[in-house]
Amino acid sequence: MIEQFLAGFDMALRVDTFVMASVGLFAGMLIGALPGFTTLMAMAILLPVSFLLDPLVGIPFLLGIYKGGIFGGSIPAILVSMPGTGAAIATTYDGYQLTKKGQSRKALDVALFSSLIGDTSSDIFTLLMIFPIAYLVMQFGPPELAAILLLSLVVVASTAGRNPIKGLLMMAIGLWFSMVGTDPIGGVERFTFGLFELKSGIPLLPMLIGVFAIPEIVNVLSANSSKLKNATRVLGERLKFAEFKRCLRTIGRSTVIGTGIGIVPGLGQVVAAMMGYTAAKNASPNPENFGKGELEGVAAAEAANNAVNGPTMVPLLTLGIPGDNVTAILLGAFVAQGLRPGPELFETQGSIVFAILIIMVLANALFLIIGYLAIPFFARSVSIKSSLLIPLVVMFAVAGSYVFRSDVFDILMLAFFGLFGVIARFGKFDVMPMVMGFILGEPLEYAFGQTLAMSEGNIIAFALTERPAMLAILVLTPIIGFMLWRSVNKKQTQPEATELIENSP
Amino acid sequence: MSFTKRLLLKAVATTVLAAGMAGGAAAADYPEKPIQLVIPLGAGGSHDLNARVMTSVIPQYLNQAMIVQLSPGASGQKGTNEVANAEADGYTLLFTHNYIDQLQQHVENLPYNPLEDFVTVARTNFAPIAIVVQADSPYQSAEELFAAAKESPGKVSMAHSGNWGALFVPAAQLMQANDFQLNLVPYKGGGPAMQALLSGDVDVTMGFPSTLAGQIAAGKVRVLATAGDERIYPEVPSFSELGVGGDVGFMHRVVLAPKDIPEDRLATLREAFGKLNDDKTYQRMMSRMGENIDYLGGEDYDSMRKDQAVAYKSLVDMITGQ
Repeated sequence: MIEQFLAGFDMALRVDTFVMASVGLFAGMLIGALPGFTTLMAMAILLPVSFLLDPLVGIPFLLGIYKGGIFGGSIPAILVSMPGTGAAIATTYDGYQLTKKGQSRKALDVALFSSLIGDTSSDIFTLLMIFPIAYLVMQFGPPELAAILLLSLVVVASTAGRNPIKGLLMMAIGLWFSMVGTDPIGGVERFTFGLFELKSGIPLLPMLIGVFAIPEIVNVLSANSSKLKNATRVLGERLKFAEFKRCLRTIGRSTVIGTGIGIVPGLGQVVAAMMGYTAAKNASPNPENFGKGELEGVAAAEAANNAVNGPTMVPLLTLGIPGDNVTAILLGAFVAQGLRPGPELFETQGSIVFAILIIMVLANALFLIIGYLAIPFFARSVSIKSSLLIPLVVMFAVAGSYVFRSDVFDILMLAFFGLFGVIARFGKFDVMPMVMGFILGEPLEYAFGQTLAMSEGNIIAFALTERPAMLAILVLTPIIGFMLWRSVNKKQTQPEATELIENSP
Repeated sequence: MSFTKRLLLKAVATTVLAAGMAGGAAAADYPEKPIQLVIPLGAGGSHDLNARVMTSVIPQYLNQAMIVQLSPGASGQKGTNEVANAEADGYTLLFTHNYIDQLQQHVENLPYNPLEDFVTVARTNFAPIAIVVQADSPYQSAEELFAAAKESPGKVSMAHSGNWGALFVPAAQLMQANDFQLNLVPYKGGGPAMQALLSGDVDVTMGFPSTLAGQIAAGKVRVLATAGDERIYPEVPSFSELGVGGDVGFMHRVVLAPKDIPEDRLATLREAFGKLNDDKTYQRMMSRMGENIDYLGGEDYDSMRKDQAVAYKSLVDMITGQ
């Protein structure tokens, strides 16, 4: 094992590996920054390129695209309040408020550093604990997933803001939106009003762009003209070391949360970012700053969603089973190189696996440099005049909604959710619980349906006799929910907190 | 390395040739612009990856690029409907599989008619399914498994990759042929279904040999039977030996075109896919991915589609009738 590790270290230190990893990182960052283009699409398109390269060049190239893409997604979230993926939703909260204050560069710096620390720590943890993690992953089936998803909903609901009724109402609407389309278990059409376009459900991307970006555009347009003139945004300063140090606790907490969530198959980056953000807000001495441009808010979300990456590689490397489409593409790349991930890979070619894991860590150091140099250019892109910026943002909103499925219907969806977002803001409703309800609703329903099938309909006896972990989570859920609600409520009874909702995106 | 060079040379040559064609006098010939290949499935799946390889090689034979367009949703109906409604000029094709193509018409009301709206360009390959259990499972043979499922209906659980999908349909066909009842638990794809088997959440699942190789080599799973007449593993019986013959348990990957495509254009496409099948680079890249190549001409596969339509109808009637 130790010899394999050292041999892997030797293999990883190659110039061409680093060159291609850098190319991948940069390409991934650009693609991830364009709303509508996902890293998954980029990886699928560039997969055949990796066939032609050496395994230790081709796979780092794909990993680079993946890592670069996740950070890239936070760029439009911070600059124009347009989350390109679900993972960047929590980043939108404080990131865009920082941009409004003229601190976009600082926000991007925090995002970069927290992403890298979260990712590197989880990679190293994965490297050291790969077999225990592999064992843990196998303990989570649909029943446990269903219980954890329910817990996540309770956490979102109990920390949704000052007005719990409004929060719960929005979450219920989100859950209802998640049910539109073909029912995932039985295949029955629901709430489609006979529209074929709605059969595959409501698309996520137009919803995200609609509720987060459109109200901001309307906001800028409705501001009086003198304000609009001065709205030309400054680049702002880079991150100061003292500020970075202040975020370290948050980054550490989020990394632990993200890594833990990465171990549970099927949860993923969206939940991790939300949980990291909620935990940071809850632990902060001044939670009222969250949602108003708190650096720690960006750090919490970005560290958590990147910390998911390490553990998600474990089922692929130890069992040869891809848990999602990203790892499915990586599996394709491995197999094309004559490497069959799985238990025997460690025995026969363990040094290559370690080399790949080591490259993952080293690629982060590389990304620190690439990202740090690129951030001023991205930050500058929003420092142009509002009269130019607004049409550009509208164009990206429409194009981003359309390009993902190339469907005109998705532009109608964008308009619908844009209107929804504007009305919600007017009525001082926070859209976050709605979006989380929508995102968590479908997997929750699916996992619950699977659990019902596994238990042959007798779910209580099944939980009691065969699934102690599920039972434990279900028992703890109301307790955790109540404690969170009380602590958030206590801190927010300060008078100035009324502004909190007003300023949330 | 020479492989890489050859491919790059080919790619360059194709681009130059294509540019020459587009600008030259032969521009009126089909195809004079890139062809769209619509996939009604998501990014990263086996169809996506197969198509990436196909579309990187086929430009040599069409002198035009072929562009992958993913259009997932509504169990594949969204992308299929788009091609059904596209102009039948040979510039929009569909890359799908037999279950999306022929089974869904019996489960739901579709806005298109598979047999009347589409014609086959080629079947590029197919994958036979295998029944697998954990290595320490009490079921030593398929007969034992079937007998146990018959004795206590619903007690033996099987993970599948989604309703009316590539694992669900063969399971249903086996249940229909041998009169037994499995508890079918859905998972989001073949990977999670295999994980459910390995973690002991279910008793049995199915998988394609290309994805099973690692698990078999590691001694984690035991294969009980494989689809088709011929054995794939020397010691493991085929479906025919278990009394389930015919086109059961095969996922055919097929390229379809709108029915009204001009005859000469269809012929051009069929010829190009035929040549693709003999291409060394294509063969090499596909085998690197663990995929087989099993080309079948358009006319031959079209007659198979008619048989599939009949077989799937009786299957759906049996399952939904209960």
